[in-house]
Amino acid sequence: MKERLLNCAFKFLNSYFNSSKFACRSCSTKSKDDILKYQNDLFNAEKLRQKENIGRIEKIRVKYVGHPKNLDLIMNKYISTPFNCAQHMYEMLVRRSALALINGEKYWDMHRPLDADCELQLLHFQDEYPAQVNKAYWRTCSFMLGSVLSNAFKENIEIILHSFPKPNVRSGSFVYDVVIPSLPNWKPSIDELRILSAEMIKLSSQNLIVERLSVNEELACKIFESNKYKLEQIPAMSDQSLDKNIVLYRIGKHIDVSRGPMVGNVSFLGRCTITAVHKLEHNSENFYRFQGVSLPKGILLNHFAYSVLEKRAEKLNVGRLPWQYDDVFHPELQTAEATI
Amino acid sequence: MNQFTNHQADFNKLVSKLRIRILPKYRKLSQPDGPEGRLRNLRQTVTALIKYERIELSYSRADEARGYAERLISEAIRHGDVHKPTMEMASYWLYEKQLVHKLFKVLVPRFSEYQMSYTALFKAPLNFPTSLKSRSVLELKGNPFPPLIFDGSRNKNLIHNILLEEAYKERKRQEYAEIVNKVSTSEKQKNLNNDFGKESLSKAVQDVSEGEALLKSVEINLNEQCTENLPLKLH
Repeated sequence: MKERLLNCAFKFLNSYFNSSKFACRSCSTKSKDDILKYQNDLFNAEKLRQKENIGRIEKIRVKYVGHPKNLDLIMNKYISTPFNCAQHMYEMLVRRSALALINGEKYWDMHRPLDADCELQLLHFQDEYPAQVNKAYWRTCSFMLGSVLSNAFKENIEIILHSFPKPNVRSGSFVYDVVIPSLPNWKPSIDELRILSAEMIKLSSQNLIVERLSVNEELACKIFESNKYKLEQIPAMSDQSLDKNIVLYRIGKHIDVSRGPMVGNVSFLGRCTITAVHKLEHNSENFYRFQGVSLPKGILLNHFAYSVLEKRAEKLNVGRLPWQYDDVFHPELQTAEATI
Repeated sequence: MNQFTNHQADFNKLVSKLRIRILPKYRKLSQPDGPEGRLRNLRQTVTALIKYERIELSYSRADEARGYAERLISEAIRHGDVHKPTMEMASYWLYEKQLVHKLFKVLVPRFSEYQMSYTALFKAPLNFPTSLKSRSVLELKGNPFPPLIFDGSRNKNLIHNILLEEAYKERKRQEYAEIVNKVSTSEKQKNLNNDFGKESLSKAVQDVSEGEALLKSVEINLNEQCTENLPLKLH
């Protein structure tokens, strides 16, 4: 009886290994879903590894400064995030806080674990000086646009995400640059733009948190091995960062590189329009610049004023072009950036 | 039909029209003293509203008292302080004598130009877990307290205000550029010979023909666009 059972088990294992070998052989032509699963497995494994590396849990003292009243919290080092702090205080803070400010100098993601004793401020869109929150929001919009674009096209159309320039609210639109090799001369109709706008709203209604993970260059290259443009950018990004690490962001299953910070949740996106797609001419590669404009939830604008913003967002955004690796700005915008 | 309507009195001219929606039937507001007690309660509420300008109370009582307060203010604006029935009404609804003075000397000037209701009613958050009764805030408009609801037009640093400001600047820049263009072209025109007229005419003809060609191409594009040719998934 035992032998029979063992035999059965061996057969099962054999069939399992054979099937997995078969899957490995077909690695060269991975489908979108396979790539996503591969990336997410790596991401999850690294997240778990970092969590297990913490070891003994230490306590830190977090001083909350702000509305409704100042509070002292005892939190867990490398585990608790500003979001958790808000959960311990008021539901109102949980709902409205988009970004945290540590010790009055460093802007911190809502879902990034705290690493030392600190003074915490929670920022939101209706603050008196919300410039940094707006910037993080604009960056998140670009990131979300990347997620939407990688899912919106049909299976037979390959779409390679390239990058997005530094977020600049004053330029009037957020941007994502992509390469679509199979569409040399695509001009989207109004309906197609509407589909993209609707996809953005659908994404925001999924209420996903924006996860942040700092990984080493090697792992980042492994995650983005199917995207040749990201592979080119990653070494440059790691050179620029202080700890030589790459910061990854994830919403749902979509992973992207960005310096951050981003707002804590995709549901902050209230009203959104993808206004234009511009073809960019460079080295016979089909670069497309997708542009849009959006407003966070809770900031309402009448339709006429919003249409003014939409019209402006149709014009080509003058932010850094995908093949320029330094941030190149329009002289007018540069002064605007300085005043933000 | 017309004759009949002409002989009817215009109801709006007899009674001032309320600028808020009220229920078709009054609320009884459970009171052991009956209708008399109900009116006493509402008088207290209206007095408090005129006195403090912002009060927190239960929703049903606030909504009920709001109609009476609106009517009282509109009558005061309509008839002024020389009208005896209005004065009697004011001294009935306001328990304190100085509030009658406030009504005519402070509130009538404040609200005389208003095109909207004089009061505002907001639902207040539940005080969980101590009480689950629906609370509300009733206030006179134009009061000196900080606003209860978010006003997006006050802060120029909010994201929509920055976007609008930049859109405005860009439009101004365009307008100035157009003016400069106009001036420079008119100067050129002065310098050129009479042949210029002919040139511009031929240019205009060219523009029109180009426009027609563009329209045709758009039509062709529209005909070609079947759903199968589109690269996006349709949802």
